[in-house]
Amino acid sequence: MREKFRLIENRELHETLYHYRFYPGLDLYVLPRADYQKKYAVFSTHFGSIDNHFRVEPDPEVTELPDGVAHFLEHKLFEDERGNVFDRFAALGASPNAFTSFTQTSYLFSCTDNFEQNLDHLLNFVQEPYFTEKTVQKEQGIIGQEIKMYEDHPHWRVFFNLLAGLYQKHPARNDIAGTVESISQITPELLYRCYNTFYHPSNMAVFVVGDLDPDRVGRQVKENMAGRDYKPMGEIARLLPEEPAGINQEKTVQELVVSEPIMFLGFKDNRAAKLESGPLMRREILMELVLDILFGSSEQLYNELYRDNLIDENFGAEYSAETSYGYALIGGETRDPDQLYGRIMEAVNNLKKEGITAEQFERHRRKILGGYIRRFNSLEFIANNYLAYRFRDNEMFDLPSILQEVSRNEAMEVAVENLDPSSHALSLVVPPPEE
Amino acid sequence: MFTNYSEHYLPNGIRLLFMPTDKFKTISMALFLHQELNRQVAALNALLPAVLEQGSRQYPDKLTLQRTLENLYGSDLTADILKSGERHVIAFGCETPHDKYLGKNGALLRKGMSVLGSVTGDPLTENGGFKKDYVSQEKNQLIKDIRGMLNDKVTYAYERCIALMCAEERFGTYKLGQIEDYDQIDREALYSYYQKIFSRNPIDLYVIGDLKEEEVLEVAGEAFSFSRSDEQSKLTATEIKRPVPEVRYHEESMAVNQAKLVLGYRTYTGYGDAQYCPLLVYSGILGAFPHSKLFMKVREEAGLAYYVHSRLERHKGLMVISAGINCDDYSQARDIIDRQLEDMASGEISDTELDNTRRGLINRLRSQQDSPTQLISTHLDGSIGGRTYTAQELIEGIEAVDRQEIRAVAEKIKLDTVYVLRPREGGS
Repeated sequence: MREKFRLIENRELHETLYHYRFYPGLDLYVLPRADYQKKYAVFSTHFGSIDNHFRVEPDPEVTELPDGVAHFLEHKLFEDERGNVFDRFAALGASPNAFTSFTQTSYLFSCTDNFEQNLDHLLNFVQEPYFTEKTVQKEQGIIGQEIKMYEDHPHWRVFFNLLAGLYQKHPARNDIAGTVESISQITPELLYRCYNTFYHPSNMAVFVVGDLDPDRVGRQVKENMAGRDYKPMGEIARLLPEEPAGINQEKTVQELVVSEPIMFLGFKDNRAAKLESGPLMRREILMELVLDILFGSSEQLYNELYRDNLIDENFGAEYSAETSYGYALIGGETRDPDQLYGRIMEAVNNLKKEGITAEQFERHRRKILGGYIRRFNSLEFIANNYLAYRFRDNEMFDLPSILQEVSRNEAMEVAVENLDPSSHALSLVVPPPEE
Repeated sequence: MFTNYSEHYLPNGIRLLFMPTDKFKTISMALFLHQELNRQVAALNALLPAVLEQGSRQYPDKLTLQRTLENLYGSDLTADILKSGERHVIAFGCETPHDKYLGKNGALLRKGMSVLGSVTGDPLTENGGFKKDYVSQEKNQLIKDIRGMLNDKVTYAYERCIALMCAEERFGTYKLGQIEDYDQIDREALYSYYQKIFSRNPIDLYVIGDLKEEEVLEVAGEAFSFSRSDEQSKLTATEIKRPVPEVRYHEESMAVNQAKLVLGYRTYTGYGDAQYCPLLVYSGILGAFPHSKLFMKVREEAGLAYYVHSRLERHKGLMVISAGINCDDYSQARDIIDRQLEDMASGEISDTELDNTRRGLINRLRSQQDSPTQLISTHLDGSIGGRTYTAQELIEGIEAVDRQEIRAVAEKIKLDTVYVLRPREGGS
């Protein structure tokens, strides 16, 4: 792969993005933002919790991982032979962080000073792994506490219980951090094996935003990569199990200390899992519109449910999809899950009969367009999300134009296809019975 | 480097703070009404924005209001109640995308401001009170929210510690008040309370965006034309001097997996005090960053916690340390935490810790300039704390903090209350 450069312009948002590609396949994106004090950089790998079963071409050997390795690796990169990586960012006045999702692991910092040194530091620590028995063992304690914190978190539990209800085999059904048991199987060797596969530059990308000179950043990243003696790597085959069309379990109920029940209702989108990235992004936008039209605060249903004290302001619906899975999720806290469930299903059925009006469609389209524009105030939002789209070959800056293109008929088609009563599951967290 | 606000007064006495900048893609508007925090009016203060947000005379229900906002390109209207020291602030916000990204011409400021003005200044009434349905519906919602505090155990433990520690002070009042306080509120009483405080209490209106000052003044004057009294209510300052006769220990058990440890300290340093910057540096070295002592010792070295940090209730002069731990590790975690405070008091602070903390705090201050929400909330802090710092002043203040000043802060700090949320024996 040779060096490459192009400009990505977006007229609606008044943004110009600079894209560079360096040997052996690292993408760099620079978005200049004049007047911002903050400079933000994120270095991400296309390695998330669902990548737990893989091999690298042409090697036939398959690696299977216990749950939670991507997240564990994220924690462990923050420590190297010289000690704690946080300290070195702190000395440069930067604020570092990292996160792991289903599909990516991201390392980031924001700073208002010493940008070049901080960027070097970010590039260096992510490219210089250091795992030992001792450090792995200590991290098992820390992540064990993180897992316990989430075990007590009712909204987190109701969400993962729902995914486990929707999916029979797909690894999105498992908690990103794994379990105390699964992370006890992690060893330094395993971390190195994952590192050497997924942290190859051709599986990674850097996004930088702030008051910056793109070419200067480009030179810096190129020089940082130049001395590292990378060899080209074969393609990573992500071996996902064949997910059956049907759901796993219709209803999951967990008792936790909560003030009232929390109910999430999910629809498994079997079609999304078979789409190329372009149609997938279009489908996400259409489903965002459909769910807002069905369940948004400007519509009859929401207002009736609110008036009947069945929902609160946090009630909502969202659609999420990646190249191997997709689902719509609706819910919130409610005093009466049975009644709320009935009303939601009734609304879903009515949509097919009654359709969407032109007025509704345009109004919600405007709302979502305004939402995109407002979110572009945040450098973190832009950088983090840009790479998530990029890893599945989507261009995030196309959001406004696709939104303008889509039609009411398309929305109805997608809605009927996805909101199919035969592929839904229910997840409840309820208070324990009174003693 | 830093843009500041220009200050104006609308004809009815509302203070307008305007910051012209083309940095953002939005027009941000926010209105704050200042009131005292105390048990007697806490529920009224919390209920008021919730009811006003349901609809105004011009937009009589949520459906009409939300559809209007959607047609204004998803302008976002928010209503909230904030607790800052012993100040209770009724907050409204309206954020619209800037017209220039939509090929429109200047209509969104006027329309957004008009919605904000309508909701806050021209409410929907019937027979001398607010609409009955809205009042009872929002009472139910708030009672539910008070009960719902239990759902997030980290917040629950924090709020319990504050409530126990400050049980005899105004600050001990939860920001939504207490469930039984809602019984006594009726729609007429709430409306007359609304009339009283919107007439007499200080109100600040913030506007940030690529806008012309004359236009903002004109539009704001039109949108907020309700009449106000010439007499302004004086609000009692926050009490920060309460002594600690002895450390109190509270424990609660629940069917949870992780224990939460919360330690409440009194710093005897207020927002406007000369020692405010040294206190920021003190808490920063101790526990506000990943390089801080608490994170390094409790998490990175001992591996006892995932989260452990110190936070300031800056307007009340409190510092609160929180950690999620295994219950069996309680003594070990407490020992390590106590030792960090002892090290702070005896001056065991490395140059690196001091420098890194200064840099970290300054980075935070500068970064706040990039968010309209933070630009507004930091200035609001000044109004609440009775002293307005510019970002530059705080940066210079932090740079100037020396070891002696940190030690002086450390010597004053006293542990007041220990709160532990424990997993129930044989629990989940």
